[in-house]
Amino acid sequence: MTNLEKYNQAFCETFELANPDFDSLQYMGVEQWDSVGHMSLVAALEDAFDIMMDTDDIIDFSSYLKGKEILKKYEVEI
Amino acid sequence: MLKNKNVIVTGAGGGIGLATVNKIAENGGNVWACTRTKTEQFEQDLQNIANQYGVWIKAVYFDMTNESQMKTAIKEISLEKRSIDVLVNAAGTVYNGMFTMTSISKLKEVFEVNYFEQIYIMQLVARLMMRQKKGSIVNVASVSGIETTEGKLAYGSSKAALIYASKTISKELAQYNIRVNALAPGLTDTKMNKEIPDADLQKVLDRSSMKRMANPEEIANAIVFLASDQSSFMTGQVMVVDGGRLWS
Repeated sequence: MTNLEKYNQAFCETFELANPDFDSLQYMGVEQWDSVGHMSLVAALEDAFDIMMDTDDIIDFSSYLKGKEILKKYEVEI
Repeated sequence: MLKNKNVIVTGAGGGIGLATVNKIAENGGNVWACTRTKTEQFEQDLQNIANQYGVWIKAVYFDMTNESQMKTAIKEISLEKRSIDVLVNAAGTVYNGMFTMTSISKLKEVFEVNYFEQIYIMQLVARLMMRQKKGSIVNVASVSGIETTEGKLAYGSSKAALIYASKTISKELAQYNIRVNALAPGLTDTKMNKEIPDADLQKVLDRSSMKRMANPEEIANAIVFLASDQSSFMTGQVMVVDGGRLWS
């Protein structure tokens, strides 16, 4: 599985989305992506890429696209 | 009480910390024993405890004021892919000084260890516990964080802050089945308290019902209770273990 597939899968499984418009996904933009969902997403990404994110990055992780940028800091290229 | 539970203990090289490691092992729990400095004595102590009770105990070294080291250590623990059932925050530093004689840099130094880094390690470990949907966090505060005493500005207010944090975090983590409690020990017979002048020590002891210091094991017993399922309906509480000092 590519990093992009893993990344997309984390969103789909966490927020129970079938075929979302990934680039438009934003924090609080879908019902499931609330503060609780956010931590579930972080957990899914940390598991998928074996990383441990900094709190500042968790706070900054405001959208699908922003998340791609943040993961670069952890040497995860998507 | 802790059979097959895996526990992270910070400040494991200290009096209360090491007694807690011992008591957890006695109750069947495994331990990541975290301390700053590696010594032969510490490693030997852990080995002896592990052998005595047939559990595993791993030494983990990091400085509580170094977030990068702390994060690396917790990540390494997480990569072991074991459940992390309990976090005991027993690391701490003490400073006694009157308000007028406490520099802001000293105040920050005390808060760094007794508050900010406790919060940071809770953030790291709680995220792992949230995935498991279970966990127990025990923060070792102090009665100094409840009573107001001259000369305790730095230490007392840092422990008061930790008590507040324990309560508010307990509300946020309850939905993940993670309990958070604080323990407020009174004077305990540890190396950290050896520097208290005899007259000051006696003054505190005279105010308490039991007129003596606690043994570290007595504090460890209370920690194990809060860590275990024996306290499964307790969260956001401060357990005072002070020989009748605070409200006597």
